[in-house]
Amino acid sequence: MAMAYAMDLSPPTSFFLSPTSSSLRRLSSLPVSTFNRHSNRRLQILCQATAGTQPQSNNLSDTGSKLAARSGQDRLLKVPISRIRNFSIIAHIDHGKSTLADKLLQVTGTVQNRDMKEQFLDNMDLERERGITIKLQAARMRYVYEDTPYCLNLIDTPGHVDFSYEVSRSLAACEGALLVVDASQGVEAQTLANVYLALENNLEIIPVVNKIDLPGAEPEQVLREIEEVIGLDCSKAILCSAKEGIGITEILNAIVQRIPPPPETAEKPFRALIFDSYYDPYRGVIVYFRVIDGKVKKGDRILFMASGKDYFADEIGVLSPNQIQVDELYAGEVGYISASIRSVADARVGDTITNFSRKAESSLPGYEEATPMVFCGLFPVDADQFPDLRDALEKLQLNDAALKFEPETSSAMGFGFRCGFLGLLHMEIVQERLEREYNLNLITTAPSVVYKVHTVNGDITMCSNPSLLPQPGLRKSVEEPYVKIELLTPKDYIGALMELAQDRRGEFKEMKYIAENRASLLYELPLAEMVGDFFDQLKSRTKGYASMEYSVIGYRESDLIKLDILINAELVEPLSTIVHRDKAYSVGRALTQKLKELIPRQMFKVPIQACIGSKVIASEALSAIRKDVLAKCYGGDISRKKKLLKKQAAGKKRMKAIGRVDVPQEAFMAVLKLEKEVL
Amino acid sequence: MLRTTTSPIFSSFTSKPRTSRLIFKAFNVILEDTPPSARRNASTNLTTLHQGPPTSAYVHLPFCRKRCHYCDFPILALGSSVSNAPYEEKQEDDPRITNYVNLLVREINATRTCFDTNPNLKTVFFGGGTPSLVPPKLVSLVLETLSSRFGLCPDAEISMEMDPGTFGGEKLKELMDLGVNRVSLGVQAFQEELLKACGRAHGVTEVYEAIEIVRACGVENWSMDLISSLPHQTLEMWEESLRLAIESQPSHVSVYDLQVEQGTKFGNVYTPGKSPLPSETQSAEFYKTASSMLRGAGYEHYEVSSYSKDEGFKCKHNLIYWGNKPFYAFGLGSASYVGGLRFSRPRRLKEYTNYVADLENGAANWCGDGNVDLKDVATDIIMLSFRTSKGLEVKEFGEAFGRKVVNSICKVYEPYVESGHIVCLDDMRREVMSDEFKKLVGDDEVKIEDHVRYLRLRDPDGFLLSNELISLAFGVISP
Repeated sequence: MAMAYAMDLSPPTSFFLSPTSSSLRRLSSLPVSTFNRHSNRRLQILCQATAGTQPQSNNLSDTGSKLAARSGQDRLLKVPISRIRNFSIIAHIDHGKSTLADKLLQVTGTVQNRDMKEQFLDNMDLERERGITIKLQAARMRYVYEDTPYCLNLIDTPGHVDFSYEVSRSLAACEGALLVVDASQGVEAQTLANVYLALENNLEIIPVVNKIDLPGAEPEQVLREIEEVIGLDCSKAILCSAKEGIGITEILNAIVQRIPPPPETAEKPFRALIFDSYYDPYRGVIVYFRVIDGKVKKGDRILFMASGKDYFADEIGVLSPNQIQVDELYAGEVGYISASIRSVADARVGDTITNFSRKAESSLPGYEEATPMVFCGLFPVDADQFPDLRDALEKLQLNDAALKFEPETSSAMGFGFRCGFLGLLHMEIVQERLEREYNLNLITTAPSVVYKVHTVNGDITMCSNPSLLPQPGLRKSVEEPYVKIELLTPKDYIGALMELAQDRRGEFKEMKYIAENRASLLYELPLAEMVGDFFDQLKSRTKGYASMEYSVIGYRESDLIKLDILINAELVEPLSTIVHRDKAYSVGRALTQKLKELIPRQMFKVPIQACIGSKVIASEALSAIRKDVLAKCYGGDISRKKKLLKKQAAGKKRMKAIGRVDVPQEAFMAVLKLEKEVL
Repeated sequence: MLRTTTSPIFSSFTSKPRTSRLIFKAFNVILEDTPPSARRNASTNLTTLHQGPPTSAYVHLPFCRKRCHYCDFPILALGSSVSNAPYEEKQEDDPRITNYVNLLVREINATRTCFDTNPNLKTVFFGGGTPSLVPPKLVSLVLETLSSRFGLCPDAEISMEMDPGTFGGEKLKELMDLGVNRVSLGVQAFQEELLKACGRAHGVTEVYEAIEIVRACGVENWSMDLISSLPHQTLEMWEESLRLAIESQPSHVSVYDLQVEQGTKFGNVYTPGKSPLPSETQSAEFYKTASSMLRGAGYEHYEVSSYSKDEGFKCKHNLIYWGNKPFYAFGLGSASYVGGLRFSRPRRLKEYTNYVADLENGAANWCGDGNVDLKDVATDIIMLSFRTSKGLEVKEFGEAFGRKVVNSICKVYEPYVESGHIVCLDDMRREVMSDEFKKLVGDDEVKIEDHVRYLRLRDPDGFLLSNELISLAFGVISP
């Protein structure tokens, strides 16, 4: 019942292109916890937070909850800037971020007990199901400390490196962060990267060791790890159990005491940092922002400095966590604007909002264009769905400025789109949303990275689509993106991970022990080797204990070739892949074997080949159907026979013709999946 | 009401609004395409064949001694008491048979049609079941009823399926006197173990006896039924059966490839292509062997599973089916095609009894109103005509359904003409070679039907893959 379920779902593979330096900088994800805690919800405490006294755990009183509720009701009341605290939570997946966030909302009375649902901040079904935060949300809470009311703004961050740019923007909107570490798991790779990011943003970091109630908890050990690995002072760290409600008030108190208030800049021209935006079909884009300087009123004409678009603010409000309208927001506050904005591209995360008539001199730092790093082709199974797919992608793009797509045509798959994503999880989520929310049935080609091709005439072209790779005669060399990857693992699995990294053409760099039992491994390997099932492998080979983090370190030349698949001597473009020469044979063999299994036999013999250029490196043959005849039309009753023939004809319709060969969609899908695994 | 159709093809669209819209969409091109003369002559073309009065009747006599292991037909098993006394005509008193035949007679009598003309029946087919289990007296009753209801041509082909061990010379003579002039003898195999394995109620001895009786009685037109791909059947056994069949000199041979049907005993224990059933390759070999041995012995392979000694011994009744022409059907589970409606009667006796009562009250809807879905007719014609060695008449088909459909079918078949699965023939039934066919298909200026008169499946390679090939044409008609 109380087991986490998000452990293996999402391969965290992406990186972040630094705007300030040309080198690529490492970022990481904020993890999220996913605990099922239906059973003892009622027993959990509700802290009465009006007097700053620490209520006892398990001492739930009616008075307490009423007081908390009243305090929650007052949360729209303005407080001076000096009493605003903006913070976020940094945690690894399953270390309890969402549980803690839920608890904070409950204890401060922001969310009534009866409205409480798990992971309140995760709005999308997909998020709640997968237990990961994809889009950020924010929550304004009122907390009374030593008889003084404070306004706390929790800015939730997405739990995945794919969204590290968004993480960095939401961190930039805060003055402090809670670093939540699981008392039995210790510091994980992505946590590390996000803490560095927070430190870069000069955030005050409050270490919190969570899940101290669990039997395997070793808080002392974990604290030592935080001190040694991150170098944070842990003397004032808080031990808590979000699930049991232990230590929640200490956390709230520490937020008030230790996180600095926003600077007093309400008199300056209005500047606000967008840390999230989403598209609402009825109201247009809703922008979440933190006011950095000045103030904004309902009805103001506002300007988005990066996109250059201007709008009238129809509605402004705060998130608590539902949208509640207010008339005015001033420096330090967090809120939303609705201004009939047509697309999130006009109000991108990281952009600066200013007042149209009293423009700020400069925009806030840190804005950058999204750079897709992983590409794949998306094709509708049913060609009729092509316009629907385009509409759906356009709608998703309204809400996801990082999603890039352009039309692509393929002989086998028909019309579709080549889409660019921040990383693999981003890709998976987009695919799943397309299928789930827009009822599309899609075929995805194997994800590929962007290759840099040096042609013989001295040009350099970027190529993300294997079928567009210049002919061997025209290219001088091919470079592929490399990543530096850091793996944190219990020492028992070092061997298994080294083997995995070696398999994936990894180059060993360094190994060090970060604690007695845990080691950090450093490798450099091609990004292409990671966009497959690397993360799944990492998890399965270490029983889920290892974590990883990576960053792109640039392009390197590799002996890469294009592997083609020929069915009945016809090239099947969507199955072409770019692989390292050393792997071509095993990949070719696996693909041809799989296709032989999946393609139904035809009326003639069908050779299935894997080729490099014109050289066949693996070959299978599908034997011909010998007999398919219904011998008798009994007593003139042809209806049954006709039904069978119609079914057979319908079956053919679902197939794609590769030359004379009918290939079922499932064959493509299975092979593309296999490509993801073997590449 | 059946309309005489001189009006355009629209009138034959089905009355269901949704379907008819779809059909119209698919066929509107065709209508523009059809030359006016063809439309005026619509009453004679393929799309209106079904509107005429039937001249054939199928009569289902469902009685068997026991159910064979491969059989999923509507039958009524009489039990072993009958099988113990095959030649004594005890069955005459079996009330189950008498009652059924009475019901059948009621059905025939209650069958009212409203055709302008009522031509006499040219073929009657007693199928089963094992019709030879029915006493001649009752067969006579059925024939009399048919005759008084519809009229019977003096030279009508009257076929009856007969199983070894269910009739003697006397009975056969009686039946012949009644007008039965074609016997379809259910031999199935010449190996005791195979007959046993498929649960036949007779052995090899009865097979030889039955052949002897048929020949002694002087039945000129008789067919022997054989089944290939039976469990445990080897190529040697199959060759032996074919050889013995040829030696018996039937005027017609039907060779059925075993279909493993769901719900039958075979369906429960066997998987097609898996031992003890022959593999797909073996099974294909059996088919080819039958084709070459029977043709070698002078039989014409005129339909996927039918061989005849000469033109006159082709089964006229079955040719009605394959020509997509209308026919009556009477009896349990039987399927008729009248007024454009393919109608199957209830397969269970109780429901069938109710059906007959409804029919008598005028409440049964077994006859179509002449309106058909053109696509349905087109696919019926495709699947039926490709079963025959005559094949699809391209020109007629094009006149009825449009040249574009013919062009598309030719395009789809082009690779299979090249691979030899499909044969193209000109007016004189000379083969059009694949290079030439390719040129014709590639040239939009050329009217294919001026050069290609027939398309047919090649024997045996094309016949063996008939389902695949026919479903390709289906795909053209209902894209």
